[in-house]
Amino acid sequence: MGASWPEADSVPARHEGASVVRLDDNLAVYDDVGQLMILLNSSAAAVWNLCDGSTTVAAMVRELAEMYPDEAPVIGDDVRGTLRKLAELGLVEQGEEAL
Amino acid sequence: MHDRVYCTPTLRALSYFFVVLCDGEVVHTHVSALLSSLIDAHDGGADAVGEQAPHCYTLKTSTERPATVDVGRDGEPVGSGLELGVAVAWLVWDVNRLAAELSGEHLLFHAGGVEASGVGILVPGASGSGKSTLTAGLVRAGLGYLSDELVALELDAAGSGPDRLVPYPKPITVKSGSFGVLADLTPAFLDGEDDGEWLVPVGDDTGRRVGDPCQPGFVIVPRYDPSAETALVPLTDTEAFFTLALHAVNLLSHGPAGSEAIGRLAAHCASFSLAFSDLDAACKLVLGLVGAGV
Repeated sequence: MGASWPEADSVPARHEGASVVRLDDNLAVYDDVGQLMILLNSSAAAVWNLCDGSTTVAAMVRELAEMYPDEAPVIGDDVRGTLRKLAELGLVEQGEEAL
Repeated sequence: MHDRVYCTPTLRALSYFFVVLCDGEVVHTHVSALLSSLIDAHDGGADAVGEQAPHCYTLKTSTERPATVDVGRDGEPVGSGLELGVAVAWLVWDVNRLAAELSGEHLLFHAGGVEASGVGILVPGASGSGKSTLTAGLVRAGLGYLSDELVALELDAAGSGPDRLVPYPKPITVKSGSFGVLADLTPAFLDGEDDGEWLVPVGDDTGRRVGDPCQPGFVIVPRYDPSAETALVPLTDTEAFFTLALHAVNLLSHGPAGSEAIGRLAAHCASFSLAFSDLDAACKLVLGLVGAGV
């Protein structure tokens, strides 16, 4: 993944070793390989749930903008920032479809 | 010359099985009374111990220093010329250490634990948080004792719960800062006196009962603060989850199954923080919360 990742046609995928526990409106994500546990707030959890390896970043932004119209102007930056952070932590990687 | 050896029944600290051999009746009587809550219900049964013989501690009258003992484990010398209280305190510490090391099939928490009418109460906390003091206070008030240091959660084999707390009723360790509020628990023999700790026996004949295996229903996170007003404050599932994860001793070795079990705990249990400056007031709050008719 390059410095410009994620791009509009990127298809992020959740790391296979990661498992999640639902808590209130949040998700605790546990990565068995990296032995890491982090808490995703509700908006980060929404991004995480869309990282299925087939949904493009552009489609994620569209879907979330429809769900949260008041925040539509900033959702693109939020999604890309969240994906970059999840990738840094090894919890998200580039899906097969875009390769 | 001593030509008689006294042996305890097989004792069980979770998955660690052991016996204690003594060459003096007084020492044997004392050790047996202190550790009687750990007697394995299946003593002598192959199912409980498996193929391996229990580990063996020896407390042997010292030939070098009068009124002291030499300590060994599995035939290896560990210490010589120790005062009995120091030797017993070491033994309890070593059993606790090995119980944690060898009980990996359980999800273990650095926590106290009690049982009220078949419902488990987890009391996770760091050293100095007051978890042992609160646990001792609740046991004194009539709740069943599970542990004051290492609470074991037996995970449901199917991974969907319910999971179960299992007792590890080691003697309760009371530190010097709590001697005043737990004065009525002063043991007849002051094990570990040199370290400023009491080892308080539990079980039959002590008035302090051992709890039954039970499903957890409450998480109480204590924080002793002499300036605090004693009060319970509800925790969210998220707060309870991360508190429990922080105090899970062997979470990494359980991987996703461990974090999912903690998720079930956080979702199922009613969780609270408990700042307290007054032990009796804290115990009353917890007893009222769990509806304990003790």
